[in-house]
Amino acid sequence: MNELPLSGIRIIDFSWIIAGPTAARHLALMGAEVIKVGSSRRPDPSTKGSPYQVYNQSKEYCALNLSNKDSKNIAIDLISTADVVIENFAAGVFDRMGFDYETLREYRPDIILLSSAGTGHTGPDKNFVAYGSLLQHYTGWNTISGYGDGNPIKGGLWADPWVGMELSMILMAAINHRMESGKGQYIDYSMAESLTASISSSILDYQISGKLSEPNGNKSLNKYPHGLYKCLGTDKWVSISIDNNIQWDEFCELINQVKWVNNSDFNTVEKRKLYELEIDKVINDWTKLQEDYDVMHILQAIGIEAAPSLDISRVYSDPSLYESGFLSNHVFADGTEKMLPTLPWNFTNISDFELSAAPNIGDSNEKIYLDLLGIDIKIYKDLIEKKVIY
Amino acid sequence: MDSDNATGLLGGLKVLELGSYVSAPYCALTLAKLGADVIKIEPPTGDESRKEITLGLNANDKGISSLFLSLNHNKKSVVLDLDILEDQKRFLKLAESTDIIVENTPIEYLRKRNLDFDKLKENNASLIMISILPFGEGNAYSDYVASDLSLFHMSGNAHGIIGPVKDPDTEPPLRAGGYQADMVAGLTATTASMIALHKKMKTGIGCHVIVSAFEAMVTMAISGLANTAFGKPHPTRKLQEQEGSSIGGMVSAIGGVLPCIDGFVAISPREDAQWERWVEMMGHPDWAEDERFNTRSARENNVEDLWVFLSEWSLTKSKYDISRDGQNRRIPCFPVNTIEDLLRDSHLEYREFFMNIEHPELGLLKYPSLPYKLNNVTVPVPSRPAPNLGFHNKVFFNETGS
Repeated sequence: MNELPLSGIRIIDFSWIIAGPTAARHLALMGAEVIKVGSSRRPDPSTKGSPYQVYNQSKEYCALNLSNKDSKNIAIDLISTADVVIENFAAGVFDRMGFDYETLREYRPDIILLSSAGTGHTGPDKNFVAYGSLLQHYTGWNTISGYGDGNPIKGGLWADPWVGMELSMILMAAINHRMESGKGQYIDYSMAESLTASISSSILDYQISGKLSEPNGNKSLNKYPHGLYKCLGTDKWVSISIDNNIQWDEFCELINQVKWVNNSDFNTVEKRKLYELEIDKVINDWTKLQEDYDVMHILQAIGIEAAPSLDISRVYSDPSLYESGFLSNHVFADGTEKMLPTLPWNFTNISDFELSAAPNIGDSNEKIYLDLLGIDIKIYKDLIEKKVIY
Repeated sequence: MDSDNATGLLGGLKVLELGSYVSAPYCALTLAKLGADVIKIEPPTGDESRKEITLGLNANDKGISSLFLSLNHNKKSVVLDLDILEDQKRFLKLAESTDIIVENTPIEYLRKRNLDFDKLKENNASLIMISILPFGEGNAYSDYVASDLSLFHMSGNAHGIIGPVKDPDTEPPLRAGGYQADMVAGLTATTASMIALHKKMKTGIGCHVIVSAFEAMVTMAISGLANTAFGKPHPTRKLQEQEGSSIGGMVSAIGGVLPCIDGFVAISPREDAQWERWVEMMGHPDWAEDERFNTRSARENNVEDLWVFLSEWSLTKSKYDISRDGQNRRIPCFPVNTIEDLLRDSHLEYREFFMNIEHPELGLLKYPSLPYKLNNVTVPVPSRPAPNLGFHNKVFFNETGS
């Protein structure tokens, strides 16, 4: 009953940086056995940074130098034991290493191979070199974001974590399909298409209206007040959104603007927007003397949406994330402890997530090569010597 | 599940959506696109997204906003008033033969009507229910309300997205356009539903999953969260205090957006070798030899001057020519596409990314399909646009839709 949902699933994770590793991470925390494979010859570029410690929670990690031809049989043996292979090299790289889907299915007919790349694995632009931050621009995602002053937005690392969540979703759908049909799957995933699909309403809006959605900052066509207001302290802001006239009246009473309560000049979004500058100034005068969290609690107590706009260090301090168990304690090999994120859901009938600190490269070499694959100890040592296991 | 007429990965899967606006409808949409049979339960007033004011369909009373259209194709619409006993019974009946219920009703809404998970599983022991709540259950904010605006801001994502500004006290953090926080909650719910389905297929046991939209959005900021956990100070939004790459790649010498004749091009010749190829592409201008620009760290220290020179050059060129020439030299660079550009993009056309669905009033429109290709299964071709309110009541209850 309390067994984790994905126990018994084995995933070989050749992916690196963010999108692929986080997809495998979601499944590892839900009980799948994830074996990360990489080489010191060209380590996962994320290795040196702190985020690596989260992207790779609860995984095994063995070293294998895929540029050495003697590694191929070992990789194939490992894949033959697995349900799923994940890779996110540039399109074509995994094929050229000799691990195309047709080859893999010779060894494991029902293997599920997930290949994620910037623009997918077919089509005229499949070889485009991509970074997630650039894809935000390429896919139209950024064109609907901004203050509305004509300047493109510059920040954001949106693509990879979004893609990571979608990759784990489609992997699970393929695994479930295989349980019923017996069929494996090759999944050719395009990060660019994923971002474009996430702005589908703007795409339809354009076709229907002939107009491009203009970035409008924190505003909304459907609600007003709806935006950010300044609070006490440098760069402290609170979001406030008024949903209907009852809330508007209650809000006005709270901020001592009784002249606007039950006032027919202010009882629709359009009418209120005519007084936008005046209303915004009054709200700002009220918020700017208060702490952002205080405004949240005061307004939420009467059912009005409000929340502080937090920088990431304040997110990490938010008490709700500890109460819910989203931030949970991890013990590292050197005995240090850290509160690190788990997953954004709770299953009512399972116990805790499978949680362990991220491994270092090679930590699982003996477990995987000697115990799982049964490689002879002498040969194993020789493979290390020859930098095949490296 | 009925595997005889399976199509797509989820053929035969029965899904009930008790969803409003974006998150739960987006979750159920993905399940529908993958082949599930989705019945959307709407109140007599309809899903609130039907009334969303958008550019295309302003405040119309037909209940077909662009937002609603984009999230509800290939579903069946059934109207139930869950405040009246007869419709509560109908809901219970539908739930008996359902694999997955996806819902985003307010907390306690279903319990108050005695339609919560514990009640529903009495007649369906293997039922899966996915509940999307703004802040999950069992913490100090569980009763709080939140929409896209608050979720984007409270999760830390809004501080990164705009890039550095001159004055953080007058230029606020920014939420992204569209409905990204709600989409993230819906996507996260979809992943959770597939994990729960796996457990059900293995054990026959269903479960109730609570998805926290806030935590789903915090998961999108996971890199920054990890940096904080390991003691790295959070990046300031103030331009003058900004270090090289600290906000993640789209400002400073490692990448940015250049103006062109026909829009913008996003470039990132960040490594020295990429930069050398980039300079070659520009025809080796004299300024590139300058010591302010000849190493990566020098470029990072002189990024404003660098961008002036680059912009002078790019303003005489097309975004397509620059990105094509750059990509031919293995330099990461892309045109900044408008939606019009996307709709006629030859690569997306080759991959048949957009699919046409005919709408009786609006005609043929292009919708994004799934962003992945599957080799061993035929994904059903969506053919039904978002349904009119209650269109399928007559199918299920032998009555005329409202």
